[in-house]
Amino acid sequence: MQYLIIGGSIAGISAARAIRNADLNAEITVVSGEKVKAYYRPIIPLLINRHKSEVDILYPDDPIEKYSANVIYEMVTGVDVQSKEVLLSSGRKIGFDRLLIATGGVPIIPDIPGIKGQGVFTLRTMEDAIRIRDAISDVKEAVVIGGGFVGIKAAMALKSLLDVTIIEKLQQILYQRLDSKGAEIIQNALKNEGIKILTNETIVEIIREAARIKALRLVSGNIINSDMVIVAIGVRPDIDIFKDSGIKISKGIQVNELLQTNISDIYAAGDVVEFKELLTGRPSVSGLWVNAMEMGRIAGMNMAGANIRYPGFLAVMNATEIADIPIVAVGIIEPKAGEYKTVTEDSTGSYKKFVFKDDLLVGALFIGDIKNAGIYTNLIKNQIPIRRMKERIIKGTISYVDFLKKI
Amino acid sequence: MKQIFVKPEKCIGCKSCEIACAVQHSKDKTLFSAVLQSPTPMKRLFVEAVETMKMPIICRHCEDAPCLDACISGCLYRDEKGFVRRKEERCIGCWTCIMVCPFGVITRDKEKHIAVKCDRCHELEIPACVNACPTYALVMTDVEELPKEKRRMVILTELKAAG
Repeated sequence: MQYLIIGGSIAGISAARAIRNADLNAEITVVSGEKVKAYYRPIIPLLINRHKSEVDILYPDDPIEKYSANVIYEMVTGVDVQSKEVLLSSGRKIGFDRLLIATGGVPIIPDIPGIKGQGVFTLRTMEDAIRIRDAISDVKEAVVIGGGFVGIKAAMALKSLLDVTIIEKLQQILYQRLDSKGAEIIQNALKNEGIKILTNETIVEIIREAARIKALRLVSGNIINSDMVIVAIGVRPDIDIFKDSGIKISKGIQVNELLQTNISDIYAAGDVVEFKELLTGRPSVSGLWVNAMEMGRIAGMNMAGANIRYPGFLAVMNATEIADIPIVAVGIIEPKAGEYKTVTEDSTGSYKKFVFKDDLLVGALFIGDIKNAGIYTNLIKNQIPIRRMKERIIKGTISYVDFLKKI
Repeated sequence: MKQIFVKPEKCIGCKSCEIACAVQHSKDKTLFSAVLQSPTPMKRLFVEAVETMKMPIICRHCEDAPCLDACISGCLYRDEKGFVRRKEERCIGCWTCIMVCPFGVITRDKEKHIAVKCDRCHELEIPACVNACPTYALVMTDVEELPKEKRRMVILTELKAAG
């Protein structure tokens, strides 16, 4: 059986592993548009300030070798679903029995006058991070567009080297990942690190002088000096090459519960997929590494003959540390009033929030103290009725023993 | 292969396992130096209680380990004995493993900003926690041996009840 995987990042890698585990004789080929060995995408911001080198962020054992796969470093230009072939940029065609689309996401670039040209960067690939690293020597002031996790990590990496400002369109950073109170805590911590944050603000023009970025005109009318712009307002599914292929697409590639597209031998996994969010049931695009890993695993197993249903992903499932403050956010963090009940626990150095719906925990936020967070993730992800555990959930005294007691 | 088994009915909540674990993961591996070490060494298992039920919660070194799958820096790996261990120098303190461990047995080293978890005392034949348990609530048993032992216990209780 010939398995072809488009995309050499986590969804593709975990699919390759699942296929290899199920089928020792499988012929697995991975087509990767990035001309580097498999690396840990979430930690690329650490390349910017040389906290890690390129080698440091590679997988310790190259998954291509580990799962005896072939790799082709080329761009895919199209898929012929009739002849079951993938077309490559070199003009070559490769046939497949089963195909996995795991092309991931591409950064969204806002349509701002002056955005095209030097000095504007995205932070999605290892190459992007290296480009930023190599450009900062003649930069004094950097502006990051977007107060999400990627933008904040970029800002944290840059702040020891130059002046950094984060520009956030909404009234708070980390919208939907943190509630307003949580965002305030992190915003203050970032300010203490020397990062400027402008909320309710957008860039309307990038002013250049002899091609170089000089300043940014903001919607408020203010003009701020800057010679580097990092765009971090999110990613969209990388689907352009599949548009006329006959594969069903809306926001992302549409799949059923087996992560199979409308073409039965073609599957999709990771950030390129549009599928239902577990808690809301809404068709969504995930954008999270842990979800891509899980989708890749399930798609891989199904491609190799299993019949495993993917229940959907959590739109929010983030863990990180920002300015020495650990954070875990899972599920619905800031619900609309009505059917949800929220409880907050606020003490020195710790802010927690729990969101309940009927007899279920649907959201948990930990800032400062993240002990036992995984127990909460398990309750949310597997929709386990909480019954008498509610008080212990709120107090933070819940443990694995609660599940054994079956209370 | 022998595995650690936990018998909640025998646990009296004395936390000897917790102390032994912290000592085993201290610099000199003795209680006296461990209590003086600063910061104090960290335990990797946790005695928890709900109502009357007490038991140590330990890392299962899951076959399908969520922490291992979710590690975004290549720190966690499965060693040749099957234990899920850390390459400490690779940990960046992102806490993804803490977010996904349903047992809650991964914690933060607040000094080093890295994740801490059970290494199953990989260099010892019998892990420190098992060795320290005075009531045999923690035992090393072959998976096949456990049901045999359970049957024996049922028969014994029945016999006792029959007088």
